[in-house]
Amino acid sequence: MGRKTYFRLGLLLALIWLFFNLFPLWWVIVTAFKPPLAVSQGATYFPFIDFKPTLQAFRDALSGVRGDFAGPIASSIIVSILSTGAAVFLGAMAAYALVRFEFRIRLLAGIAFAVIAIGGFVLLDRYTSMRVPYALGLVLAIALAVSIWLNRQRLPGPVMKNDDVTFWFVSQRMFPPIVSAFALFLLYAEMNKAGVRMLDSLPGLVLAYTAFGLPFAVWLMRDFFTNIPVEVEEAAMVDNIGRLRIFFQIVLPMSTPGLIATSMIILAFIWNEFLFALLLTSSKWQTLPILLAGQNSSRGDEWWAISVAVLISITPMIVVAIFLGRMMRSGLLTGSIK
Amino acid sequence: MSAHATTDRVKYVFIWPAFFVVLLVTLFPLIYALVVSFQSMRLVPPTPPRFVGFDNYADILASGRFWGSIWTTAVIVFISVAVQYIIGFALALALHHNVPGAALYRVSFLLPMFLAPVGIALIARMLFHPVLGPVNEFFSAFGLENIPFLTEPNLAVAVLITVETWQWTPFVILLMLAGLQGLPNEVFEAARVDNISAWRRFWDITFPMLLPLSVAVIFIRLIEGFKIIDTVFVLTGGGPGTATETLTLFAYNEGFKKFNLGATSALSFLFLIVVIIFGTLYLAGAQRMVRRYR
Repeated sequence: MGRKTYFRLGLLLALIWLFFNLFPLWWVIVTAFKPPLAVSQGATYFPFIDFKPTLQAFRDALSGVRGDFAGPIASSIIVSILSTGAAVFLGAMAAYALVRFEFRIRLLAGIAFAVIAIGGFVLLDRYTSMRVPYALGLVLAIALAVSIWLNRQRLPGPVMKNDDVTFWFVSQRMFPPIVSAFALFLLYAEMNKAGVRMLDSLPGLVLAYTAFGLPFAVWLMRDFFTNIPVEVEEAAMVDNIGRLRIFFQIVLPMSTPGLIATSMIILAFIWNEFLFALLLTSSKWQTLPILLAGQNSSRGDEWWAISVAVLISITPMIVVAIFLGRMMRSGLLTGSIK
Repeated sequence: MSAHATTDRVKYVFIWPAFFVVLLVTLFPLIYALVVSFQSMRLVPPTPPRFVGFDNYADILASGRFWGSIWTTAVIVFISVAVQYIIGFALALALHHNVPGAALYRVSFLLPMFLAPVGIALIARMLFHPVLGPVNEFFSAFGLENIPFLTEPNLAVAVLITVETWQWTPFVILLMLAGLQGLPNEVFEAARVDNISAWRRFWDITFPMLLPLSVAVIFIRLIEGFKIIDTVFVLTGGGPGTATETLTLFAYNEGFKKFNLGATSALSFLFLIVVIIFGTLYLAGAQRMVRRYR
């Protein structure tokens, strides 16, 4: 087989995939404009030819006669923007520390932390009537203090470096989210009982999603920072400018493209996230994916209404994807992928 | 280094907030869940927590539904990741060699992975409708009318695999394309001068050189794939019966339909163990393969 054959095969594959790729999107856009008859009489594909398009479904959605759309849209926007901001900000700071400083964490101190935290909580839970959040908080404080003190001592055993810390952050994404989501649900439920409203609340959701986005932020921003030349910072340090000022006034502005790209990726993840929202919200702060999942049983065959809901959820992300695609073509993201 | 020693302390200011949030939100609840997993605890009817040892774990390991959900998840994940890898790599190669219209493909091929899985599942529900959907129309042309795509167990799994492939092949394309662009050009020039066929060039040069990246890409997809719940939740709800129930959906049903908190915690830790076992096995196998190619 010659070079030409492969070329044609590749083109064929790309064209087939393009159709497979875009057909569902075409379908949902077209269906949003369909009148009921164009749905119930079998599949139709082309407006003006197959059916007469109507804006009725959009009007219904906007006027709110078909259930509350504005609420979930608002909470999705607020929650995802706040959490993305927090995750990228904290992640960028941590990533900078991991690139420019050296960390040494003794394995024994880490093990001591786990043992004290788990053992201490079991003891408090069995032998005192302390409420769960307080008990956990107390144990957290003690375990942290002890392990920080232990880390300063000359203990034997392996020492973990920056790469291990990065791995620790990233590994949070590796284990199944139902584990932490369910655990978080249990804890939030206990906090609700103790009088601090966390379930179905803005702080609860933002905190959960910040932690959800952090691993990505650390991982992506670390690569952007490694590519920034260190000389500028060294020059600033000679002038006795503090590290925090260097970070905020020199490093962050220099890595704006990286910050934008990272924010968009994390924004997409949080905007689309389903499981945490499903477990942690019940009515007030329900996000769009939860509203969408409900459309299925509540709408049945009203495909035009379902399509409008889907379009509302995916349109912002289409914009994000196109924007990222452009950035990628200019070679911006290739560095972070390696 | 010693000159920096005084300013070194500031590193804790940088890393502690992030560290603390992760600790607070993902690790600390885990301790509580771990304790709960050894208790009998129900919300409906409310029963006070009682220590039951490994009973919850034993119950789950003895239930057929648990093994069924592992099987379903594994089938969906392994088949869809294999398909994603093959198609994704092929498309990345095509894009790398600049098939006509590559600029258009680049944007549209990336699109699916940014869209909400719940929304995609809703679209798929319309497309695979046994009477009104376009897929039905397509099969009707071949005389296969009204196939119950979502209510026949094997077909439902096949639909889920299709949806997963649609959504996540872009991820493979993105990473493999980046990998291809990072390969040194000289090797390929030399091979071309030596008149080595394109087929052999791929298997002798490109594939081995991208093997470590492939291992990583497949690993990420496997780990992510095991979390699948949204699409199943909307498309089949785990049905018919429990035929398409995945691990995460099983845990959700156990926790929020039966409100059996102890068992759900135990289940989520078993799930964690399953993922660790699969992950370790895969990485061990993959390492062997990488070594053989060297």
